[in-house]
Formats: sequence, C-alpha cells, structure tokens
Amino acid sequence: MPKLTAETVLPILRAGDSARLPDDVPAKFKPGQSVRVRNLNPLGHTRAPRYIRGKTGRIDRDHGVMVFPDTNAAGTGKKPQHVYSVRFEGREIWGPDAPSKEAIYVDLWDDYLDPA
Amino acid sequence: MNGAHDMGGMDGFGPVVAEKNEPVFHADWERRTFAMTVAMGFYGAWNIDMARHARERMEPGEYLRTSYYEHWLHGLETLLVEKGLVSAEELEARRAELAKKS
Amino acid sequence: MSAHDHDHDHSDVPSDLALRVKALESLLVEKGLVDPAALDILIDTYETKVGPRNGAKVVARAWADPAFKARLLKDASKTIAEFGFDGRQGKDMVVVENTDEVHNMVVCTLCSCYPWPVLGLPPVWYKASPYRAKAVRDPRGVLQDFGVTLPEEIEIRVWDSTAELRYLVLPQRPKGTEGLSEEALADLVTRDSMIGTGLAKTPGAKP
Repeated sequence: MPKLTAETVLPILRAGDSARLPDDVPAKFKPGQSVRVRNLNPLGHTRAPRYIRGKTGRIDRDHGVMVFPDTNAAGTGKKPQHVYSVRFEGREIWGPDAPSKEAIYVDLWDDYLDPA
Repeated sequence: MNGAHDMGGMDGFGPVVAEKNEPVFHADWERRTFAMTVAMGFYGAWNIDMARHARERMEPGEYLRTSYYEHWLHGLETLLVEKGLVSAEELEARRAELAKKS
Repeated sequence: MSAHDHDHDHSDVPSDLALRVKALESLLVEKGLVDPAALDILIDTYETKVGPRNGAKVVARAWADPAFKARLLKDASKTIAEFGFDGRQGKDMVVVENTDEVHNMVVCTLCSCYPWPVLGLPPVWYKASPYRAKAVRDPRGVLQDFGVTLPEEIEIRVWDSTAELRYLVLPQRPKGTEGLSEEALADLVTRDSMIGTGLAKTPGAKP
C-alpha cells in the first residue's frame, strides 16, 4: 500500500524530512578552527564537491548531528556526526587571480575534514 | 562520485538566463514526475541520498544535455528497477502498448 | 537491460517523455505503489499553495520587528516554523542577512536543494548548469546576469547547500520604506532577493 495517500499527504509534507539525529556524538571541530577537506574521491555518493577537496577553510558554525549521506546512500548506515558550515576564501579555491572579497560556505561533515 | 552533477566551478555554460514569470511546471509530464518521485520517496524502499545518487549516475553527456525533471525521471526509473519494484521489461512493454494507442 | 536502453539519440521529443511518464505512472498505480489522488494533491500544493510569498512575509516581519529578526537569525528553523512555514525540504533552516558589508547568495552546486516551505519549488535557472557552475566561481558575474552590480568593497558570501540545511537570504530593507505596513513591505521582497541573485524592490519601482 502506498504510504502517501490523499489523507496523509499534507501531514507527511508538514512533518518534513529532517536529517537531524538525536545521537550524542562529540564534535571533532570547533567554530573558528582551521580545517582541510580530505582528498576523497569515492565512487559512491558524497556531498563534498570537487572544487573544495584538499582546500583549507575555517569552521563558521556547527549545525549539530545529522545523517551522513555517503553511508546512507550506500545502505550501510546513518553514521550520525556533526555538520559544519565551513568558510573558504575565494582565492583559496580559485587561486590568486580570483577577486578578493568573495567567500564560499560549504556544509561539510566530520568525516570529510582534517584539522589544518 | 566525480560525476557531471558536481559542477561547481565548471566553465563554459554561459550566462544565467532566467525565464520571466516562469511557471512552476512546464509540462504535465514534469508534474507527474515530480509527484511520483516525492510519493515514492515516502514509500520506504530508498532514502533521499540513494535518490540523489541514482540521478548522479546518469551518463555525464546525457546529464548535461537533459533537463532537470528528466534527471528525476531517470533516477526514479533506475531506483524502481534496482529495488525490484518494477522491471525494465514491464516498463518497455507498457511504453510499447501506449505508443500503439497514441 | 537497463530501464533506459533505446537506440536513438537522447534528444527526446516531449511526447516521448510524456509517454514514458504515463507508462510509469500506470504501472505504479496498478502495483499499488502510488495513490493518484495523493499525486494530485502534491502537485496542487507546490503549484498553487506554496511559494515565495511565504518567505516574503517572513522577511517583512523581520524588517518590521527587530526582536523577530534576532530570533530568526539565531534559530531560523524554530522561528520560521512558528510563523507557519514548515515542512519538507525546510525543516532545518539558516537565515543569512545582507548588510552594507556583506551580500549573500545561495546555490546547490550538486543538485537543486532549496527551501521549499518558504520559497516553493526552485526556478529552472537555479537547477540548471550555468548557475550551479558559476555561483561559486563568479558570483559577481551571476549578479550581472541578473542586472545587479554591487560595490567592490562588499564581501560576497556564496552558500553551497550540500547538506540538509536550507538557506534563506534576508535582503536589506530598501530605503524610503519607513512607515509601510508589513503587507506593503512583503510586496517589495522578490524571490530572487531571498536567493541572493537580486535585491528587494524600492517603493514605486517597476514590478
């Protein structure tokens, strides 16, 4: 039977699809800390885009504990961990010829990051 | 995976062009594809990360050539077949049947 | 054989796609996997009921009420939910504020993540290659594509929605709007200003 019926559709939409998990997992990093994105090139699903791999940024904020997409997509588990907004300076990503005063914030999980 | 979907920083696509007063859906097949994808998202056979990965696995040339909801349709068909909910043969047969009628 | 094998070039004429979708839906309904009435409600909800007018109301309230604005910036998810806009693809919200020093722009380079409850479904350009590729690389170029030029001294922050956080830009309140009602303020808030590819309208500006 379909889960989504005419009666259940609006309540289900309203309930939403948060990836937040209640697990009390310690954060590996703190706001303000310098981090480097691991040079991981998995064949499966990942949410670390290529343009930031190997680059150094700064933790802007800790969003809390959420599902880890790489393992969730592979069916190997939710692997709850912290997700952070990480700030990268434009020139760090695109080189010295890039304009100044441009920054990119990317949401990244503990497993994508090393201390820098 | 390092697919075509991972396009941040890719050059050559030209300017961003916005359609004025764009409708939410441009064709009925887009409406139905959207709704079926969301509905099957709740069915429980897969999660959102699996759904994204199914779209990402489109052949790169095809991904770049096709529209957004075509990516969704590809993803949905792929997942349904991989999870054994619908077979490729059933899809082909039904398409052939409907093609004869139209 | 994959579900997708066929021997012609994949520049499908629209009727091929319509056929494919019709075939798929008929199978899913027969197998009891989807309820067509639920599909109709889904379509109606996102085609007619949910859209950027929601976000515009949130922005207008933030402009009019400093305490609300502070709560919005501190805990966007809770504040927006209390305001009444909550649900799928918007449970975990972050609001980023434009100021005289900072301009924010939101993108999802990897797909099309977008805050549905406050903005509805994303426009085609947001989901297409040019924006997804260029926003992180040349945000000022993107703004120029939208007819917006910002002073060089302003810092541009591009937010790539790689996780399940959904971002909403709080545009700057235009000058000359003192004393306007919240409803009038909401009319100035364009969808593009809440994505960061535009600015809010000034009173009396062309729509």
